[in-house]
Amino acid sequence: MRRIYESEALHRDDEDAFSPSEDERSGRLQSFRWINASLFSRLLVPHRLRSWAVSVRIETPREEYPVGTAVPFRITMKNALPIPISIRTASPLLWTWTVDGYPEASHVPVYRPPETTGAFRFDRGEHKRFSKRWRGFFRVSETEWERAGPGTYRIGVELNVPNAAGKGLSDETTVRIVPESLRG
Amino acid sequence: MALLEVEDLTVEFYTEDGVVTAADGLSYQIERGEKFGVVGESGAGKSVTALSLMRLIDSPGRIVEGAIRFKGEDVLQMTEAEVRSIRGNEMAMVFQDAQTALNPVYTVGEQIAEAIRHHLGYGDDEAREETIRLLDTVGIPEAEARYSDYPHEFSGGMQQRAVIAMALSCDPDLLICDEPTTALDVTIEAKILDLIEELADEFDTAVQLITHDLGVIAQVCDRVMVMYAGKPVEKAPVEELYYDPKHPYTVGLMSSIPRVGDTRTRLQTIPGTMPDLVELPPGCSFHPRCPYAEEACTLEEPPLLDPETGRPVGSDPTVEHSAACLEYTGALAEGLTYEIDVVDGPEGPQTPQAEGN
Ligand SMILES: Nc1ncnc2c1ncn2[C@@H]1O[C@H](COP(=O)(O)OP(=O)(O)OP(=O)(O)O)[C@@H](O)[C@H]1O
Ligand code: SF4
Ligand SMILES: [Mg+2]
Repeated sequence: MRRIYESEALHRDDEDAFSPSEDERSGRLQSFRWINASLFSRLLVPHRLRSWAVSVRIETPREEYPVGTAVPFRITMKNALPIPISIRTASPLLWTWTVDGYPEASHVPVYRPPETTGAFRFDRGEHKRFSKRWRGFFRVSETEWERAGPGTYRIGVELNVPNAAGKGLSDETTVRIVPESLRG
Repeated sequence: MALLEVEDLTVEFYTEDGVVTAADGLSYQIERGEKFGVVGESGAGKSVTALSLMRLIDSPGRIVEGAIRFKGEDVLQMTEAEVRSIRGNEMAMVFQDAQTALNPVYTVGEQIAEAIRHHLGYGDDEAREETIRLLDTVGIPEAEARYSDYPHEFSGGMQQRAVIAMALSCDPDLLICDEPTTALDVTIEAKILDLIEELADEFDTAVQLITHDLGVIAQVCDRVMVMYAGKPVEKAPVEELYYDPKHPYTVGLMSSIPRVGDTRTRLQTIPGTMPDLVELPPGCSFHPRCPYAEEACTLEEPPLLDPETGRPVGSDPTVEHSAACLEYTGALAEGLTYEIDVVDGPEGPQTPQAEGN
């Protein structure tokens, strides 16, 4: 868990006595490097190549899960190029996981991303790994959930770019949810 | 009109790992001169909420929804210049960590004097005098000599006092104290809390006091909001919260106040930890830890309800006591079964203790 005071999300301003003061320990070098990296990527690498450079994979440890258990899955994103890449996303929401095409297994929008583009940054040759789980529910309204019954479900991941599938920036796998009694 | 009206405040962090909703549809009011407590475990979103009021959240954090009306004006609609003129002047904050507030390269006195010059238009000598007076008011001995000390020459408790002096320098109408005493030992904690209370009474300043500790709230506040995983789960006048808590999480926090002579640590009393806000469980966010959780709790998320009528309270300020638990919609088959046991100590009634079963 990240705490707000330790993060860069805290507005700091030495000119304003009532804003937090600048934190010398914070990762300025880090962000400086990123500015250069994304500029570099913007200048040199055409958009199309940027999406080809990055590959996306999703896997689950097993193919079958009994009703009522969470389905863990692992997402790997790789930048194959030896230079940093920055992919422009439709909003600050960089990517989502989906179940049967529903973002985060919800039939209703969960977040309200602002209408500004975002940048998904990959260091040279970087592999990013995310471990998530689907708890076996669908959110059907702001306040209600339903348990997914036995059946086959598609779990997917996609970057938040137009036509992610066409650009190879998505992946999908299927799992079977089986009745408790069939558990072997 | 209340001094501060927060309506449906929603703050999201867009991180690489996913979206964190650190404040989710939060509404509350603070009246002039009122002392309002916000309590909850680490990570509940208390600081994010407070910093939002001052418009101090930067990317990747975003205030995606809501209104924050201070004296009737929406802080979220103001220009940066307008916010700056309120910040410090009318609404000031004692940050959770004193180091955040004090600039290490200026003397303590200079920093406060600068704020006074800038915001109140005082001249150099006047600002210096006023600063020394304030340092003295917050209990810094030999204030005149300490004026020229750098922050690192102050102890933790003294730094915290200096930060309070700074926050009070422009006589704000709302003072937000974000865990002003966490880093301090108990005797100093008690002194600082007394100080905040005294100063607030003297200047009729409203206070929003943030803490992990219900005991601290009891000592200082009139009303309280209990937060869990970015949401308010109970709001009540302090007395009612203590004697008649309506949410199981509040009851858990209550039993985590150590009794005199009790050596249990807090973490043992509410089993489990708060969920990662990037991956909240379905239904009531508290259900994985709630001793009364039933199937219904995994399928439905209760809003804040009037426990008497079971109706959602929304942002209606006339309902004094509300709790977000399905018990009050009648959806629970078993119901809640804790008892509140008021322990009388040598100094009269002490903090009540909750016994779950
Ligand atoms: N920079 C950040 N990036 C991502 N998430 C963040 C960031 N800062 C805070 N958060 C999220 O916001 C949540 C609330 O953080 P906040 O600092 O407000 O908690 P708190 O209630 O003040 O806790 P504490 O009692 O430890 O001070 C955290 O759980 C964390 O998930
Ligand atoms: S709704 Fe259910 S899980 Fe949530 S607090 Fe009430 S009893 Fe506990
Ligand atoms: Mg905090």
